[in-house]
Amino acid sequence: MTRDLNLYFDNAATSWPKPEAVYKAAEIQMRQACGNPGRSGHTRTLEADRLIYRTREAAARLFNISDPARVVFTYNATDALNIALKGFLKAGDHVLYTAMDHNSVLRPLGRLRRDELITSTMIPCSDQGYPDLDYLEHSYRPETSLLVINHASNVTGAIAPLSDMIASAHKRGIKVLVDAAQTAGVVPIDTQKEEIDFLAFTGHKGLLGPTGTGGLYVSSGLDLNPLREGGTGSQSEMDLHPASMPERLEAGTLNSSGLAGLLEGITFILNTGVEEIQKSESHLRQYLYTKLQSINALTLYGPGDSGQAAAVVSFTLENADSGEIGYILESSYGILCRTGLHCAPLAHQAIGTFPEGTVRLSPGFFTAEKDIDYLVNALNEIVRLVSG
Amino acid sequence: MASSCYITFPTTFYAIRAESVLKSQPYSFKMVPVPRSISSSCGTALRCSCENIAVLKEYLLQKDLELEGFYKLEESGLKTPVVTALDLEQQGINEQ
Repeated sequence: MTRDLNLYFDNAATSWPKPEAVYKAAEIQMRQACGNPGRSGHTRTLEADRLIYRTREAAARLFNISDPARVVFTYNATDALNIALKGFLKAGDHVLYTAMDHNSVLRPLGRLRRDELITSTMIPCSDQGYPDLDYLEHSYRPETSLLVINHASNVTGAIAPLSDMIASAHKRGIKVLVDAAQTAGVVPIDTQKEEIDFLAFTGHKGLLGPTGTGGLYVSSGLDLNPLREGGTGSQSEMDLHPASMPERLEAGTLNSSGLAGLLEGITFILNTGVEEIQKSESHLRQYLYTKLQSINALTLYGPGDSGQAAAVVSFTLENADSGEIGYILESSYGILCRTGLHCAPLAHQAIGTFPEGTVRLSPGFFTAEKDIDYLVNALNEIVRLVSG
Repeated sequence: MASSCYITFPTTFYAIRAESVLKSQPYSFKMVPVPRSISSSCGTALRCSCENIAVLKEYLLQKDLELEGFYKLEESGLKTPVVTALDLEQQGINEQ
């Protein structure tokens, strides 16, 4: 059988391919506009400054953020989540989070708990990955300051009921941090309509940009303590980091070539339309889910209705190691996917696949139905092999 | 002696935002490295004619920009220019 790198079913880890303009812009930025943004004042620096400004504006447009100064660039979503959690939480605070949360939330919270700075409560989720809203209603305490919402699970694709959860927290004066690692660029996110306080996103998944890019939106009126301090090119005579956003939360030279690529990724999304991308990915997920359902030996996880799910489907095959299935898929068919726990151990506990994990298939905007047909055919053969 | 006026910004973000929002306006201005004679804020300042600086300031504040300082530089060849911080709160340009 032919091996084609287009048989890439790991877009939930990082998207591939990227729009051609993304590759080109990153290269051009490195070759031609190589000044250090914010530092020197010469023309190449100014060019880099303008590029970063345009990227901030594009991100603001995508998430309906009125003031681009509230968009801070980070290395990825993990970085953004760390900045939000460690910059917002104070000693004695109580935090609510869900079983679908990724280690990028679980581990910072785990450390803050271990250091006896905070307490926290996990909101359980259904075996499809939807949070238990009744449980949430009964979990608030007087010292609760933050609700962390995993917008879409990286294991099942389940999209959390954002509006309901935010309303529940806000009526008690509690702030909300939305982890949009799996949704930015593929599910419409309106920070003003939803009244999101903090939005963490990565650049290299749904936004179709390079790795090493991401961002955090901080709504106006909320000031985070910076996780990092250092050079900004501004107010250099002061011995404290500038308080003005966005530099308040950005220290050191930004990843300007990465951000040049990210700008093109976001531009592609704005031109295509997030709704259009969501429609297309939802169709692909449903197509994949339905085809997998026809293989009786597989157990599928996550919503059967792809209308409320990001393009992620997990499965297991009885008596077969998920890692082994992933290995056969690549070595015999050239199909790339991800197996195991996907950095989300509590999610696998919730859906009943801990500690073995699952095989996760995540198509992207550029996946074709014929790729899914080829994948399903490969899985049929593997099932026959394992059962035979 | 030639003189020109400068607006400085607390962060690079606002310097570039100023350039961006002024693009569609009829004022002539230039983004330049902050003159060393103005103690440094961010790397880039806006240079404009001193007749326009009060109007530009008003326009930028209307657009919710954060501005840092306003300066007049009188230059004489390669000698260190004479810097005057401007108080634009008063009518016209009053030197502080």
